[in-house]
Amino acid sequence: MTPDLLQELMAKAEGSCAYAEARQVHTRSEDASVLNGSVEEVTAGESEGIGVRVRIGGGWGFAATRDVSAAGAEEALARALAIAEAQPAAPATPLASAGEPARGHWEGPCEQDPFAVSLDARLAHLFEAEEPMRGDERVVRTWAGCRAIRTTKAFASTEGAACTQVLTECGGGIQAVAVGDGELQIRSYPSSHGGHVAAAGWEHLLELDLKGQAPRIREEAVALLTAPVCSAGTTTLVIHGEQVALQVHESIGHALELDRILLGEASYAGTSFVGAADLGSLRYGSEHLNVTADATTPGGLGSFGWDDEGVAGRRTPLIEQGVLRATLSNRESAAAIGLEASGGCARADGFARQPIVRMTNVNLEPGDAGSLADLIAATDEGLYVENNRSWSINDRRWQFQFACEVGREIRGGELGRLVRNPSYAGITPRFWGSLDAVCSPSEWQLYGLMNCGKGEPGQGMHVSHGAAPARFRGVQVGVA
Amino acid sequence: MTSTELAERALAQCGDGEAQATVTRERSLLSRFARSRPTQATAVDDLTVNVLVLRDGQAGTAETNLTSDDALRAAYERADAAARAAAASGPGDHPGLPGAPGAYPAHDGWDEATAALDPTLAGGALARAFATAEAHGFEAFGIYTNGEVETAIASSTGLRARELVTDAYMKVICRDDAGRSGWGAAGGSAVAALDAEALATEAAGRVPREEPAELGPGEYPVVLEPYAVGELLVYLSWLAFDGLAHAEGRGALDGKLGTRIAAPSINLADAPGFTATLPHAFDAEGIPKRPLPLIQDGVAHRVAYDLRSAKLAGTETTGHAIEPGGSPHGAIPTNLVLAGGGAADSAELAAPIERGLYVTRVWYVNPVHAKQTLLTGTTRDGTYLIEDGEVTRPVRDVRFTDSVLRILDTTEALTSAQKFVSDADFYGRRFAHGVVCPALRAQGFRVTG
Repeated sequence: MTPDLLQELMAKAEGSCAYAEARQVHTRSEDASVLNGSVEEVTAGESEGIGVRVRIGGGWGFAATRDVSAAGAEEALARALAIAEAQPAAPATPLASAGEPARGHWEGPCEQDPFAVSLDARLAHLFEAEEPMRGDERVVRTWAGCRAIRTTKAFASTEGAACTQVLTECGGGIQAVAVGDGELQIRSYPSSHGGHVAAAGWEHLLELDLKGQAPRIREEAVALLTAPVCSAGTTTLVIHGEQVALQVHESIGHALELDRILLGEASYAGTSFVGAADLGSLRYGSEHLNVTADATTPGGLGSFGWDDEGVAGRRTPLIEQGVLRATLSNRESAAAIGLEASGGCARADGFARQPIVRMTNVNLEPGDAGSLADLIAATDEGLYVENNRSWSINDRRWQFQFACEVGREIRGGELGRLVRNPSYAGITPRFWGSLDAVCSPSEWQLYGLMNCGKGEPGQGMHVSHGAAPARFRGVQVGVA
Repeated sequence: MTSTELAERALAQCGDGEAQATVTRERSLLSRFARSRPTQATAVDDLTVNVLVLRDGQAGTAETNLTSDDALRAAYERADAAARAAAASGPGDHPGLPGAPGAYPAHDGWDEATAALDPTLAGGALARAFATAEAHGFEAFGIYTNGEVETAIASSTGLRARELVTDAYMKVICRDDAGRSGWGAAGGSAVAALDAEALATEAAGRVPREEPAELGPGEYPVVLEPYAVGELLVYLSWLAFDGLAHAEGRGALDGKLGTRIAAPSINLADAPGFTATLPHAFDAEGIPKRPLPLIQDGVAHRVAYDLRSAKLAGTETTGHAIEPGGSPHGAIPTNLVLAGGGAADSAELAAPIERGLYVTRVWYVNPVHAKQTLLTGTTRDGTYLIEDGEVTRPVRDVRFTDSVLRILDTTEALTSAQKFVSDADFYGRRFAHGVVCPALRAQGFRVTG
C-alpha cells in the first residue's frame, strides 16, 4: 500500500476546505477458539476502504467508502464536504501543530508471522492448553482462544503528510467456568475478557505458556465455588498487574482524554472530573503515582509511528509523583486549551471511523517495592485480587466499582485462603492517593485491552497499559 | 449490484458442501454535537460479505468487504480451510443449514425519507435542538443518526432471504454550567419519529435546578423511567434468555423455567413485529422471526435459541441467531417488549412512595454475577428524590448494585404507556435495536455508593 492515491486526492481537496486528510486501511484478522474439547470458532476477516475527513470553518465532515479507486475516493471526499456544509455553522477554530509532516514507513514488531502458522498448528496449541482444564464435572466450560490482526495503513493530508504503517497484533488466553449450587465462578489466564494480546507475532502466544497455567486455572475455578465470600469492610488491597492496568485505563486514561475534559464526549462516553485548569496543580494520587502516555512502548497496542492525524508517536508524562502534568489530546482539543502541538493521541477504528482522542499506551511506571512476593511479605493484613471480572465507573470517572475473579486473604505477610466474588470501590483521586507501593521493573509488563469503546458511531480501540502489582491502603472492599 | 446479487455471487464461489453467504450493507449518517455546536459528522457506505462453510458439523467463517470474484473466492477458501481444520479435530455440533422456510413475516421497517440520507435533515434537527436548549439556558449535546441496512442471505440448501430496514435515532442532553444535565431520546424506523425540539424540551425539563443532595447507600423504593428499564432489560436478555448459556447451565434461568421469577404484572416477550420496535423478518441464519414469550405473568417461560444451541438443548431454534452459523456468545432476543400496566404516568408511580428514588437512566452497567443477574452501574442525567409521593429535589447520581430479576420481582406497578428506548451504539456493522417498555415502580432498589 502506498499513499499515492491519497496524495492525489488531497491535491483535489485543496481550496475546497480548510484542511483535509485521508486514510486507506486494510485489515486482516483470524480468530480461533476451542471449547470443551471441540473447535468453537474459526473465523477470518478482511476489509479495506478509505476514510476522508475535511474541515470547513469549525466543523468536520467524514465519509468512508470501501471503493478504493480514485473515483471512489473522490466520491467520499465530495460526501465529506457535503455533510460538513450541511451542519449548523460553527466558528472557525485553529488546529494545533502536527509537527513535521509524517513521511516514511513504520512497522511494529513481529518475529513469527501468526498468519503463517497453520490453522492446524494453532488449533493444536489451543487444544493442548484447553485439555488440562477438563475432567471435573463442575467445570462446565473450558475455553482457549487466540487471535491475530494485521492493519496496514496509508495516510495523507493537505499539510503534506504521506506515510504508511503496518501493525501486527497477536495473543490469546484460557478460561474455565465452574458451576455448582447456584454459584458460577470464572478463572482466566493471563487476562480476562479474551486473553492478552500484544503488538507482536506468534512468539507472544507461545511465551504465555497457556498449557502450563491451565491446571491452576481449573483448580481455582472449582475451589472458588465453595470459597468464603469476600467480606465487606475497609482494608489494605494488593492488586495484580492485570487489574491495575484496567484501573489505570478507566480511572486515569479516560479521565485524561482532553475531548472528555472539554465536554466533547458528554453525549456518550461522558466527561471528566479533571478540568483543563488542573494541569500542573491537581494532586491525582500519592507520590508513588507516575503515569506516562507512551506511543513508543515496544509491544504496545497503542504504539505507532504516527497517529491518525499524522502526529509522530511520543512519550508524554501525564502524572509525576502524583501531580497532573498533561492530558491526552489531538490537534483540535490541544488547540482549544492553547497548546501549540497535539499530544499525538488521535486514533480511528478502521477506515470507516474518524480519528478521536484515544489512549496510546498509558503506563503506570514501576516503583521499588520489589517482587509481588516481596510486596505481600511486606503487608501484614489485607486482600489480594487478580483478574478483572466486572468494571463500572461513572461518567465523570470519579466513582468506580470493580470485581475480580479471585481474591486471597493476606495475613502476616502471607497469602491465605481463597475468597470468592472480591470487589472494591473508590473515588479516583482518593484511591490513587492511597497508593503506597508499586512493584519494581521486574514485575512490570504490558497488558493489552481489545475492547475500549468510545465515540459515535462506536469505535473499539486496542490499547496497552504497562503495570505492576500495587498496594493501596484503606480501600472499601466486598461492595458487591 | 444489489445485496441479493452479491450474495448469489459469493455463494457461486463456494465449492461442494454446505455454505451460506450473507451480505450486510450499511449506508448511514451520524452527526454529533456538543456545547450546542456540531462536532463530528460521519457518513458510512460499506458492506460485509460473510461466508459460512460447514464440514462434518464444524463451521468456518470468513468476512470481507472486497467484492471481486477473486476476493469472494478467497473468502470461501479461508472459511473452508477453517471448517476443514476444525473437522480434523472431530465432528462438530452444527446441525446443518436450514432449507428454504415459508414466507417471512412482512413488516414496515423501511422508510424512504430515512433511506435518502439527506444530510440537511440532521443539520436542521441540530439547529432546532440548539435553539431550544438556549431558550432554556442550557447547552445541547447528543447525536442525530439515520441509516439503511440491507441484508441478503443465499445458501446451498436453497434458502434465500432479503430484508431492507431503516432506523433513525436522536438524543439530546441539556447541561448547565454546573454540569447538571437532563436527557431526552427517541428512535424508530423513520426520521419522522424524531422531534428535535420536543427532545430538547424533555431534556431541559430534567435538568436539576438546584444543587443535588447526597443519598447514602441503602435500599430505596424506586421509579425507573423507560430509559432505565430498557437498559436493564437488555442485560437481562444476555444473562437470562441466552439459550446457549442456559443449555450449559450458566444461564440465570437454569432450573427456573416454569417457576415464578418476577411479579405477576411482568410480561416480557421478544416481539419483532410489535409496533414501535425496529422489526426484523429473519435472524442471521435466515430463520423467520416470530414472537417469543419470555416471562408470562411473572413465570419464566422460554429462552432463545439459534440452530447450534437448540441442538445442544434438544429443541428447535427460535430464530435468535446473531451471527451466521451461531455466535459463541449465544442466541439473544433483540426485540424485547415489556407489557405496560395501569399507571397513568410516572407521577402516579411515585405517589405511594414516602421516600425513594426517581431514575431517568442508568449508565455503564456491567454484570457482577451473571447467574444472579446482578448488575452494577450508575444513574445519570436526571436523578431525583421522591418524598411524600412527589418528585421533589435532585440527588447526586448514585451507584447501584442490584439484580434485574429482583427488581422485576418487586415491581409493584407499571405505566400503561410504553416507549421505544435504544442506545444506538453501533459498533461494527450497524444493527439497530432497542426495547419497548414502560416506566415501573419497584421496592428495595439497592444503592451502593
